[in-house]
Amino acid sequence: MKSSYLEDFINSFVSIAKGLWVTVTHWSVLRPSVTELYPDVMPKLPENYRGMPTLPVDPKTGRSPCIACGACARICPEHIIKIEVDASDPKNRKPAAFEIDISRCMWCGLCMEVCPKNCIRPGRDFELACYDRKGMIYTLDKLQSMGGELPAEEQEPAESDEGS
Amino acid sequence: MDLLGLVKELGIIVAIAVAVLLFVLVAVLYLVLKLRWVIARIQSRLGPNRTGPWGVAQTVADALKLFQKEDIIPCGADKWLFTIAPAIVFIPAYLVYVVIPFGAGLTPRSLDVGVIYISAISSVGLIGIVIAGWASNNKWSLLGAFRGASQLIAYEVPIILALAAPVLVTGTLNLDKIVIAQGGGFWHWNIFTGIPMLPLAFLIMLIAGLAEINVTPFDIMEAESELVAGFNTEYSGMKFALFFLAEFAASFTLAAVIVTLFLGGYQPPLPVMGAQVTGKLAGLIPWFALISLGWFLFKCWVVVLGIMWIRSTLPRVRVDQLMNLSWKALIPAGLVNLLATGAYVAFWMPK
Repeated sequence: MKSSYLEDFINSFVSIAKGLWVTVTHWSVLRPSVTELYPDVMPKLPENYRGMPTLPVDPKTGRSPCIACGACARICPEHIIKIEVDASDPKNRKPAAFEIDISRCMWCGLCMEVCPKNCIRPGRDFELACYDRKGMIYTLDKLQSMGGELPAEEQEPAESDEGS
Repeated sequence: MDLLGLVKELGIIVAIAVAVLLFVLVAVLYLVLKLRWVIARIQSRLGPNRTGPWGVAQTVADALKLFQKEDIIPCGADKWLFTIAPAIVFIPAYLVYVVIPFGAGLTPRSLDVGVIYISAISSVGLIGIVIAGWASNNKWSLLGAFRGASQLIAYEVPIILALAAPVLVTGTLNLDKIVIAQGGGFWHWNIFTGIPMLPLAFLIMLIAGLAEINVTPFDIMEAESELVAGFNTEYSGMKFALFFLAEFAASFTLAAVIVTLFLGGYQPPLPVMGAQVTGKLAGLIPWFALISLGWFLFKCWVVVLGIMWIRSTLPRVRVDQLMNLSWKALIPAGLVNLLATGAYVAFWMPK
């Protein structure tokens, strides 16, 4: 049905008034700005933020509970994880070297899913830019320091508990 | 007249011209910044805030950047027309300020044909826009210039029809006298006098004025999504800055004309707030001139904020809608309004 000329006329005024009302409510203090002042004010990352793979440290042993099984290196679609095993103590395998070339990492998270000890975890660091491509290769020490500490409920039980 | 007197007079003229030019520059620098802040806040952003405290130096930085840029003249362009077009656009936008009463006794040049002068001079800028579009030798520029020409021709008529209503009621074309006639409280301002023709004229003036200064609901001549940048597509550096300056100077002029004709010019809303200012009194005590200047700038600021509010809200109209609005709605309404105002002045207005 075709609207009349007068109806169009009134409708245009009403719709303009509605639009002006919407913008003026945004203009007022009711709607704070959503801009993040990033370098000055750090953004609040969500709890489940998935960053680059890191190796959190168990504070009791002072190192990652990684057993250097190599599952993450095998599943990595880009083959960017390199592990050397330190098998001097067969009861306590650990990585002698652990390298991730983060410049080719695609944050797929397969390494975190496949890890049997659940020791490779997403980090919370997002300022990864650097001036040199070599700086993108993260070694064991760096991965451990970036990972922080394991959450308390997942830490290895103490040796004495295991023995009893 | 002896030589000394001539030199003195010339000096005064140059001083006034420089003062007005400085005012235009500062006003434009502020308006651009304020526009960006207002649009940012309406879009839930912060706007410029990195340059200087709260970003106040942003437009100064932008201007410095434009000064440094290479001045490109396209090889297919008409060199001379391309060069003078920005000046033809900017000079009228600047000349209009000559008759605006900034405060009591602060009119750069009080002309008895002030209203006609404003509408005549402000439409000269259109010639510069058409020249710019033609000389660029670019189809987008030319399309923008054509659109600008048809738009400004269409909207000059309702503006003059709207301007005529307060002129008829106050009985003078001199902007100073129009403002003095509105003295003595806000109920004497033209828009609030209770004559229904004047608010309608105000509305027509506002809508047509938005089209005249090419702000967003009516900015079809520089519609980015259709015409790259319209008539100034090929311009860069200082020439582009002049177009920019002229555009914002014109938007302040619109606010100033609306304030002068409809909102009491430099008159305070209540007689006690800055005293009942007349030209004679202001000559004796300059304080009143400054207070009235403050009121004038404040009113212009409010009107400019209103324009920014509208331009950040409404989407751009189509070309045919723009033409229809002027020829089918604003001009008939303006003509009827003018007739009604004339009849009112002739038969019913108390002498």
